[in-house]
Amino acid sequence: MKRMIALVSLLGIMPVSTALSADQNQGSSLIDQAEAARKEASSLGYEWRDTAKLIASARDAQAKGQQEESDRFAKEALLQGREAVAQAKYMDRNWQQMIPKQ
Amino acid sequence: MSRLSVARLLQAVFLIVLTMVSNSALAVNYQALVDADVRKFQAYIHKEFPDVRTADFADGVYAIDSQARKQWKEVEEFPPYDLAVDEGKALFNKPFANGKSLAGCFPNGGAVRNKYPYFDEKRGQVVTLEMAINDCLTANGEKPLNGMKGDLAKISAYIAFISRGQPIHVKVESAAAYKAYLKGKQFFYAKRGQLNMSCAGCHMEYAGRQLRSEIISPALGHTTHFPVFRLKWGEIGTLHRRYAGCNENIGAKPLAAQSEEYRDLEFFQTAMCNGLSFNGPASRK
Repeated sequence: MKRMIALVSLLGIMPVSTALSADQNQGSSLIDQAEAARKEASSLGYEWRDTAKLIASARDAQAKGQQEESDRFAKEALLQGREAVAQAKYMDRNWQQMIPKQ
Repeated sequence: MSRLSVARLLQAVFLIVLTMVSNSALAVNYQALVDADVRKFQAYIHKEFPDVRTADFADGVYAIDSQARKQWKEVEEFPPYDLAVDEGKALFNKPFANGKSLAGCFPNGGAVRNKYPYFDEKRGQVVTLEMAINDCLTANGEKPLNGMKGDLAKISAYIAFISRGQPIHVKVESAAAYKAYLKGKQFFYAKRGQLNMSCAGCHMEYAGRQLRSEIISPALGHTTHFPVFRLKWGEIGTLHRRYAGCNENIGAKPLAAQSEEYRDLEFFQTAMCNGLSFNGPASRK
C-alpha cells in the first residue's frame, strides 16, 4: 500500500517537475537566443541601449525562480536584438538614402 | 644615332608620357569629393537658416536662437570653464615621472587645435586631439586618461583655448583617409537605436525646431567649440561624451570614448566645418 501511495505521488509530481524543467530550458534557450542576437547587433555597431539590461533582468528573474517574468524579459531582449540586427543590415545598404535632400 | 634608335627613343618617351597622363587621370582626388560634400552640407544648413553667417554656426544653437544667445553671452562673461582651462594648463606643463611633459609632445606651445583630427597614414586611423594627448602620456610611461571628462577634458580645453581662431581645414588625401571619412559619414546619416534616429535626422532635418524645452542645434559647427562645460554635467566634458549622451537618448548603446566609430564621426563632422574656426572651449546648457 505504501509502495502504491509512493508511486502515485511520484506520478503526480513528475508531470509538474517535467513541465517546470521544460520551462526553465525554454527560459535558458530564450536568454541564449537573446544574448546571441545582442552580440550580433553589437558586432555590427548597432546594439540598443537596454538589451543587455533586459537580459540581465531575465537571468536575475530566472535565478529567483520567476520563470514567467524571466521569459518576458528575455523575449523583449530577443526582439530588441533582432530588430537591431535588421536595422544594422538595412542601414548598411541604404544609409545614403538618409541624406536629406535640398 | 640610327633611325631605329631614334624611333625606339621616341617610343619610350611616348610610353612614359602616356603612363604619367593616365596615372594622373586615374588618380582620385579625395579632397575634391570631400569639398563637394562640404558645399552641399553647408548649403543645406544655409537654406534652413539664411540669415545666419557661416562663421556664427560655430556658436551652435546660439547662432539661431536669439533669446538663448543673450543668456549665453552673459554666461560667457564669467565662463564656467575658466577653472578647467587653468587646471588644464597646469597639467599640460606638469612634469611626468621621466621629467618630460605634454608640452614636449605638442609644438607651438600647445596651440595645435587645428592639427586635429587628422588621418595618420602610418597607423591607418583617425587621430583626435584627445587621442594624441593619451598617446603622449603612454609614450612617456604615464597612464592614459578617461576620454569623457576630467583631466583629459581640461587639457583639451587649455589647448582649445590657446588655439582659438584657428581655421578648420580637415584634409582627406588618400583612399584610406577617405574610407575613414565615409565611415564617419555613414555613422552620421544612418538611423540607429530603439528610436530609429540619426545625427542628421535631428541636427539637419529638425534643426531649429523644438525638442521639449530646447531648440535643436544645426549640425554645422558642432565640433568647433569642444570640450564644453555643460550646465547639465556641472563640469567640462569631451565631444565623445556628448556623442555617447546623444546615442543614449535615442536608445542606442553608447560607444567608448575614442572608439574608432566616434573618431571617424568626429573626422567627418569636423570636415563639414571646413571654413569655420575653432572657438572652444564653450559653455552649453
